[in-house]
Amino acid sequence: MTKVPNYLHNAVHIMLGEFEYVLITVAAGLGECAYGAAIREEIEKVAARRCSIGALYTTIERLEKKGLLKTWMGEATAQRGGRAKRMVCVTPKGLHAAKKFYEAMMRVSRNASWATGKPGRAS
Amino acid sequence: MSSLAEMATILLAPKDRDPVLGDLAETGASGWGALGSVLGLVVRQQMELWRAWQPWVASGVAFAGSVLLLSVSFGLSVDSRHLLRGERGYGSVLCEALLMLSWAWTSGFVVGSLSGKTRWVSGILCAIPCLSCVLRFQDNSLSRLCVLLFLLPGVVGAVQGVRRARLSPMTALTLATAMTALILVWGGMYMQNWFLYLPAWWLVAHAKRSPPNEKVAA
Repeated sequence: MTKVPNYLHNAVHIMLGEFEYVLITVAAGLGECAYGAAIREEIEKVAARRCSIGALYTTIERLEKKGLLKTWMGEATAQRGGRAKRMVCVTPKGLHAAKKFYEAMMRVSRNASWATGKPGRAS
Repeated sequence: MSSLAEMATILLAPKDRDPVLGDLAETGASGWGALGSVLGLVVRQQMELWRAWQPWVASGVAFAGSVLLLSVSFGLSVDSRHLLRGERGYGSVLCEALLMLSWAWTSGFVVGSLSGKTRWVSGILCAIPCLSCVLRFQDNSLSRLCVLLFLLPGVVGAVQGVRRARLSPMTALTLATAMTALILVWGGMYMQNWFLYLPAWWLVAHAKRSPPNEKVAA
């Protein structure tokens, strides 16, 4: 009888959504300067997509609940009308989840025509 | 930035208000755009809450529980009238009253402990059948408010559910067993009444799952 290989040890324990991955990556890239408006601006610049405040803050909240991000209140500046910033820091667990997501996407895309440069089949 | 957007931030949690208004000021958002951003966040936060199962269970218990307890309250009012006329015994009406109190309290407790920030939805779902029943009440010999007898113990249970979240295993088990014994003594074993036991046994099951060192209500 053929033994079915067990691939469960490769399973990603916390599978991120696409926007969650983008947010973690951008926040990690900004480092100590990561806060709401800066993350939003960076996402719009790098990913060339609109990022609403609603999408940003609900995703930050969700990631914080999962333990992938940590937030705290930062300094207030005159540019912000004296309002405090919500600073964001990616936790080691968040970095691990993002790395796993990236690796999974790379594996999935390995034979894709846009990854290999070879013409693919279209139905 | 528009004062409308600032006013709308009252719908946000206090910790979100400053960062959101600051971000809007920093990006130069103003007028309807700023208001739309704040309201968009409010809507998304509410929708996010419904990704969990707890608000769904709480809403179901709030609605179904209030529909059933309306008829229980009405039944108790009718039986109390019979008691005053000497057509019913004290024991039977006392059992019925204790059951209504405990059903309402346990249902309210479960709704309060599971609703979280969606408790306003549970409140509306409880209020709809109550209002509908009060407005369409047709028995002239009784006050139309008699169907709302369960409301006070239900609200007390909900408030305690919000504060405590769970009961100790012994308290929950004693309550559920006493309620089951009461219905056996009373004899009102209708199918609809069994549904009202689910919150009490839910509290037993939920209490059992709590870690031993977690703070629970005595």
